[in-house]
Amino acid sequence: MEIKEKLKQVLIEDLNLEDVTPDEIGNDEPLFGEGLGLDSLDAVELVVVVQKHFGVEIKDMDEGRPALQSINTLAAFIEEKSNG
Amino acid sequence: MNQPVAITGLGCLCGAGMNLAECMESMFRGVRKPRPPFRFSTDHPVSYPVLELRDEFKLPLDDQEKVYARTSQLALAAALEALADAGWDEASLRGKKVGVCIGTTVGCALNCDDFYRAYKEGDDPEMDVIERFLRSNPASVIARQLKLDGPNQTVVNACSSGTDAIGLGASWIHSGACDIVIAGGADELSRVTYAGFSSLMITDTEPCKPFDVNRKGLNLGEGAGIMVLESDAIRGDRKAWGFVRGYGSACDAYHLTAPRPDGAGLKQAMGEAFAAAGLTPEQIAFVNAHGTGTPDNDKVESGVLAEMLPGVPFLSTKGYTGHTLGAAGGIEAVFTVESLRRGKLPANIGYADADPEIKGTPVTENTEIDGEYALSESLAFGGNNAVLILGKGDD
Amino acid sequence: MRMAIQSIGISGGFGQGVDSLQRALVAGEVEPQTGEVERNGTVDSFPCYRAAIDGLDEFFPKRALRRIDHYSKMTLYGASLALKEAGLLEADRSRMGVIIATGYGALKTTFDFLDSYLDFGYSCSSPTHFSNSVHNAAAAHVSMQFKATAPSLTVTQFEMSVASALLTARHWLAEGRVDQVLFGATDEYCDVLRYCRKRFFCDGEQGPMAPFNFERQSAVVGEGAAFFILTRDEQQASYGYIDAVTLGNHVASPLELPADDFVIAGADGHRDCGQWYAETIGSLPASAYSPLYGSFPAAAGFDLAVAALTLKEGCYFTVPDNAGSTTTPEEAPAKISCLKFGPGGDYGLIRLSR
Repeated sequence: MEIKEKLKQVLIEDLNLEDVTPDEIGNDEPLFGEGLGLDSLDAVELVVVVQKHFGVEIKDMDEGRPALQSINTLAAFIEEKSNG
Repeated sequence: MNQPVAITGLGCLCGAGMNLAECMESMFRGVRKPRPPFRFSTDHPVSYPVLELRDEFKLPLDDQEKVYARTSQLALAAALEALADAGWDEASLRGKKVGVCIGTTVGCALNCDDFYRAYKEGDDPEMDVIERFLRSNPASVIARQLKLDGPNQTVVNACSSGTDAIGLGASWIHSGACDIVIAGGADELSRVTYAGFSSLMITDTEPCKPFDVNRKGLNLGEGAGIMVLESDAIRGDRKAWGFVRGYGSACDAYHLTAPRPDGAGLKQAMGEAFAAAGLTPEQIAFVNAHGTGTPDNDKVESGVLAEMLPGVPFLSTKGYTGHTLGAAGGIEAVFTVESLRRGKLPANIGYADADPEIKGTPVTENTEIDGEYALSESLAFGGNNAVLILGKGDD
Repeated sequence: MRMAIQSIGISGGFGQGVDSLQRALVAGEVEPQTGEVERNGTVDSFPCYRAAIDGLDEFFPKRALRRIDHYSKMTLYGASLALKEAGLLEADRSRMGVIIATGYGALKTTFDFLDSYLDFGYSCSSPTHFSNSVHNAAAAHVSMQFKATAPSLTVTQFEMSVASALLTARHWLAEGRVDQVLFGATDEYCDVLRYCRKRFFCDGEQGPMAPFNFERQSAVVGEGAAFFILTRDEQQASYGYIDAVTLGNHVASPLELPADDFVIAGADGHRDCGQWYAETIGSLPASAYSPLYGSFPAAAGFDLAVAALTLKEGCYFTVPDNAGSTTTPEEAPAKISCLKFGPGGDYGLIRLSR
C-alpha cells in the first residue's frame, strides 16, 4: 500500500477518528487545528504511530513539527528516513 | 478570610537530600545530581536523567520493601521526620483527632509491570505485589503505622496533589474535624511514569532548565514532603515554623495534558488563595513556582506571575529535586516555609539564558529575603491548578 | 451544615439511571451477567455486574469521546445523568466543584499503557494511554466536557474513597468555595482484576452474594458510576440530606452506631470485613444492597444512592437474598446510616435524613 493510504488508515484507527474516512483526509490538509482537528496529545501519539507502523523514529518535536504538518509532509519524512 | 493554621513540623526527602536540613544545605551549595535511573532499566534508546534518592533509608519496620510500596515508605519517612520535628510520637497522638491528607500519583496506580508481564505471558504470577499494593495507600499507611483514628484522604490530582492535600488538610483544622493533620505529598520514581513522560516528549536529556530559553523538558524525581498542621488549642504556646494562610484551586477545563494558554485557572486559584489569606500580592516575598522546565508550563506560568505578581522574585526548585509529581507540592511547600524561616532563597538552578517569551527572571543566585509571606503553586495534568499562601512562623 | 441531594445519575449492573436502580430495588434482585476471560486456551466463566454506557451518545458527539476510555466514559455518563435530572445540563457551571472517589482508578487503561511498551518497546509507549491512566483523568474529562472551572478533586482510599471524598465535598460547600458539587464514585472491572480476585478468593467469587453471612466469602465483582449533585440550597433536596460524614478506625477507637438509624451496610461478601459489621450493627435494623450491583470500592456510592432513594420514596426496599438482614421495621426510616468498612477496621459513616 502506498505510504499515504496506510498513514490515513492508521491515523483513523490509532487516533480513533471514527467520524472520518480515509478519502475525506486531504493530502495537504493541516493535521492540526482547523484541518483534521488534532491537538498536542495527538502529535505525540502520532510519533508513536509512525514508529510502530513505519519503524521510523521522530527524535523530538523540533524534528516532529515540520513533519507533522500534513499527510504529504509526513509521508515525505517517512520516505526520506526509510531510504536514508 | 481564614484563620492561619500553624505548621509545627516539617519533613522532606528527595533527590536533593535525605532530610530537610540536607536538602536546604545542598540547594544553597547549588548542587544537583541528575543521572540515569539506577533502580530500573528500560530498552528506551534515549536515557533521561532523573533525581533518585541518593541513599537507602530505614524505617522502623521489618522488611519495609515487602510491607509497603516505595511511595508509602517515602511518605512514612517524611511524616516521621515532620512529627519528630513537631515533638509528637505515637503515644502522645493517642486520643487526639489526627487526620492524614497525602497527595500522590504513582502511589495509587497498579503499575506492577513485572506482574503484568507474567500474566500476559500466561503465567500465574504470585500475589505478593498486589497484596503490597492493597496495603500501600499512602494516607492509610501513615494512619495505620501511628494507630490514628481520624479522616484519611489520598489526593490524586496528578501533579498538584501535594499542594491540594495541604490546602484540604488545613480546612480540616478550620472546621474542627481534626486537631492535627499530617499533610503533604509522596511519589516514587517508576519505570511506568518514566516511560509515560518520555512518550509525552516533555523530558529533557540533560539536567532541566526551568524558565531558560533552551529548556527542553523536565527531569523526573521522587520523594516526599510533609508537614504537621495543628489547631491553636492543641498547639498552645509551642512554636510554629510557619502558617498556612490561604489555599485556592481551580480547573482549566481545557485539555487533558496542556495548560490553558491564558492561565485562567491558575489566576482563579491565586485569587481564591489571596481572598482566603486576606492578603494582597504586594505582601508576597517570593513564589516557589511549579517551573517544571517544559516549554509550555514555564511560558504559561511565568505569564501569570508577571501579570498577577509583577516584580515578585520567583524560583523553581525542580532543578534540585526533579519533578516529583504528587510529592512536588508537598516538598515545595516545605521548602517555602523553611526559606521564609531562614530568610534566604536558593538559586533557580539550570537557568542561564533569558527567553524573550518569558517575562521576568527567576532568582539566579542565593538571595536574602525579608518578608512574611510566600506563595507555592502547582499546575497539573487534567488542568488542575493549586496555590498555597504560606506565612512565616514565630521568631 | 447539611448537604442537600439534588439529583442522582447512576449506571451499574442493574441498568442505567435512577429508575433502573429503583426497579432493581423493588424486584429485590439482579441476575449477574456472565464474564469470560480466555487465558492459555481455557475459558474462565464467572458472574459479574458490569455497567453499560450506551446512553452516552445522547450527551456527546463521537468526536468528543474518541480518546476517552471506559472508566472515564462511565464517569461522564453518571455525571451527565445527574446533571440532566437536576436540569443543569445547560447551566453555568463555574461554581460547581467536581469530586470523584475511586478505589482503583482507570484499571484497564493502566494495563493498556503497559501493553503499549511491553508489546512494542519503550519507544512505543502510548502518551494517550498514559494520560488517561492517571486517576484524575475521569475528573479532567468531566471538568472539560462540562466546562466546570471550579475546584476539581479525585480521592482514592480503597473502600473509604467515597466517605473520604464526601468529607471534602462537605467542607467545600460549608466554606463557600463552590455552590454545588458534582460528586461521583466510579470503579471499573478489568480482566486482570478477575485474575487477582480469583487468586484471592477462589470459589468465593462465584456468588450468590450473601452480604450478611459474615463467615463466608461471597463477593461478586461489579463496576459502575454513581453521581450526585450536592448543594447547600435546602430547597433543592429532592432526595433528602447528608447530615454528617465521619471517618475513623474501629480498632483505634470503637465505633458506636447511632441507635435510631436504619443502617445500610456496605457489606459485600468480603469475609475479612465481616467481623466489623457484625460487631457494630448488632441488633440494629439493617440491610445491604450489594447483591444488586456487586462488589467494588466505589459501591459505597451506590449504597448512598439507595439511601437517598429510600428517603425520597419513604419506604424500605427489601432484598430477599439478604438472609441475615436483622429486621425489617414497619415504618419507613427518617434517618439512615451508610456504613462501610475496610479490612483493617477503617470505617466511613455517612448519616442521611429526610
